[in-house]
Amino acid sequence: MDATTAPHRIPPEMPQYGEENHIFELMQNMLEQLLIHQPEDPIPFMIQHLHRDNDNVPRIIILGPPASGKTTIAMWLCKHLNSSLLTVENLILNEFSYTATEARRLYLQRKTVPSALLVQLIQERLAEEDCIKRGWILDGIPETREQALRIQTLGIAPRHVIMLSAPDTVLIERNLGKRIDPQTGEIYHTTFDWPPESEIQNRLMAPEDISELETAQKLLEYHRNIVRVIPSYPKILKVISADQPCVDVFYQALTYVQSNHRTNAPFTPRVLLLGPVGSGKSLQAALLAQKYRLVNVCCGQLLKEAVADRTTFGERIQPFFEKEMAVPDSLLMKVLSQRLDQQDCIQKGWVLHGVPRDLDQAHLLNSLGYNPNRVFFLNVPFDSIMERLTLRRIDPVTGERYHLMYKPPPTMEIQARLLQNPKDAEEQVKLKMDLFYRNSADLEQLYGSAITLNGDQDPYTVFEYIESGIINPLPKKIP
Amino acid sequence: METSSRELQASEYLEKHQIKELVSYLTSALLFFRPEKPREYLISLLERLRIAKVTGVAFPFFMDNSNIVAMFEMMDSSGRGTISFVQYKEALKTLGLCTEDEDLQDDGHIITLDKFKEEVNKRMKEICEKTKGKDSESYQTAAGLLLLH
Repeated sequence: MDATTAPHRIPPEMPQYGEENHIFELMQNMLEQLLIHQPEDPIPFMIQHLHRDNDNVPRIIILGPPASGKTTIAMWLCKHLNSSLLTVENLILNEFSYTATEARRLYLQRKTVPSALLVQLIQERLAEEDCIKRGWILDGIPETREQALRIQTLGIAPRHVIMLSAPDTVLIERNLGKRIDPQTGEIYHTTFDWPPESEIQNRLMAPEDISELETAQKLLEYHRNIVRVIPSYPKILKVISADQPCVDVFYQALTYVQSNHRTNAPFTPRVLLLGPVGSGKSLQAALLAQKYRLVNVCCGQLLKEAVADRTTFGERIQPFFEKEMAVPDSLLMKVLSQRLDQQDCIQKGWVLHGVPRDLDQAHLLNSLGYNPNRVFFLNVPFDSIMERLTLRRIDPVTGERYHLMYKPPPTMEIQARLLQNPKDAEEQVKLKMDLFYRNSADLEQLYGSAITLNGDQDPYTVFEYIESGIINPLPKKIP
Repeated sequence: METSSRELQASEYLEKHQIKELVSYLTSALLFFRPEKPREYLISLLERLRIAKVTGVAFPFFMDNSNIVAMFEMMDSSGRGTISFVQYKEALKTLGLCTEDEDLQDDGHIITLDKFKEEVNKRMKEICEKTKGKDSESYQTAAGLLLLH
C-alpha cells in the first residue's frame, strides 16, 4: 500500500478529526514522556499518562533580576491560572520532608541552598498531585546553569519561560521602596503598589537587604548567572520589559502563557475570508493561493464560470444572472460542493471568499462538512471602502483597470475615455455594505474563533497578518 | 553530525519496545474509528493490549474472523470454496504469520476456509504465547501484524 503505486485517497474526515482533537500533539506528548522516563514497561506507563490528561496544564518558569516584580507576577499568574507556586522559600518550608529540613539548616548557615538539594526538593514537590493536575510556576529557579541542567536531566521541562528585564538603575531605585506584609507574604511598594487598606499599611515592614549596595551586588550576581541559563530554553523564552506598570507586565505574561507554540502537526489550511465588499478579500485570497498553493475558491467566480461553460448548473443559474437576482442557496451549495470535493481542494486546502453571506448559508456550509479551520474578518471603515470602490475605472480600449487615487491613468487621453462599472456606483456599494453588516453579527457569533483584522492598510501588511493567523495555532480560550 | 549517547540510548529504547509501530497503530486506529473521546479510546486500546500480553489471549485487533473470511474470498475468485497451496502460503506470508524460509507441508489436501481460519488463529495464538510475559515482543508482533502491507 505504497503511496507511489496508487495515490492515497484519504477521506477528508480523517485530517479534520486529527486537527480538532489535536491527535498529533497528544501522541507527541506521550512519546516525549516515554523517551524521557524510558520505563521498562511502556504500556502501563502510557495508560497512566493518558489518565493524567495534563498536557495543557501551565508549566512556567519566571526569571528576572531582583526587584523586577517576579514574585508579584508569579503570584498573580498562580491565582489566575489556579496553579501551584514554587519558590526557594516555600520549598524549604515544607515540613514533611527530610530533604527540606536539611535544606533549611544549610540555608540558615550559609544563606543559600546547595543546588543538588534544591533540585531534589523540586522533584519531590512536582511529583505531588496538585502540581500534576493543575500545573506549576517556578519563581526565580533555576538561578544558575547548574540548576538548569539538573532540572533538565530529571525530565522537568517547562512550556513557557518568561524573563523580566529592566535597566539596573531602575531596579536599584525600585528596590529601595520594597515593603513586605509579614502576614500574607505579599510584596508592596511605597510608590508603585501601595495597598489601599490602612491596616495593611501599618503592618508593612521593609526587608533587610534592600540597600543600594546590596541590590547592586545581587544584580551583578544575577547578570553573571542568567547569561548561562538562557540557552537552555531556546524556543520557549520570552523577554518582557519590567520597566512598565505591573498590570501591563501581567497581561503580557498572561497572553504569552496562554498561547500555544507552533507544532509540527500536518495542517491543510481551509481559510474563510469574510468582509464587506471592497475589503480586499479577492486580493488576499489570490496572494494566499499563490504563496501557499491553496485553491482559490471565489463564489462569484465559480458561478460565472459555470454559466460561461454552459454546464448543467450553469443553465440553471443563467436566468438568475439575467434578472440580476441572487442565486438561491441550494444551487449555490451544489456548485460549491462540486468544486470543494475535488481532489486538489481536499489535498491542498482552499481559500473561500464571497460566501457565506448570511447565517443560513453558513449553516448549510457546515452541514455539508466544509468547516474552515481559520476564519478571518476584514474590517474596513465605510469611507475607505467608498474610496476604494467608487474611484475604480476601466479603460474600454485596452481593458486596463485603473484607480483614480491608487493607480491613476498615465495620460489625459486615457482618462477621458475611462468608464465606471455600474456596480461600483455609490448607492450600489452602500446597499451591499448594509447587507453585509446586517448579517455580520450573526456570522461573528457562529465563527467564535475567527480573527478580526484591520483591512484598511497596505495589502501586504494585511497579508502578513493573515499569514501569522494561519501559521500560529489558534489562541486558547481561558477556561 | 554525531549522535550523542543519550540519543542513541533513546533510539535503542524505541527499537527494543517497538514503540514506533505501537504509536503508528494507535494513531491509525484513532483516525479510522474517530471516537468521540480519543483519550478514553486510547486507554481502552492500551488496556486490551496489556491484558492480551499478560493472559496470552488472542488480541482482538483489526484482523478478526470476518476479515479472514473476506481475505479467503478474495483469493478464491471462482467461488469453489478452496484455495491453492501457493495462495495459502502467500496469504500467511502477507499476514506475517510465516517466514520466507519456513517450509509449509503441502499435504495434498486442498485448503478450505475452515482450515485457513484454523491455521491463522493457531499461528496468532502461538505468537502470543511464545512471547507471553516478555515485555517487548507480544504487543510488538500484535501491532506488527496489523500493518497489513
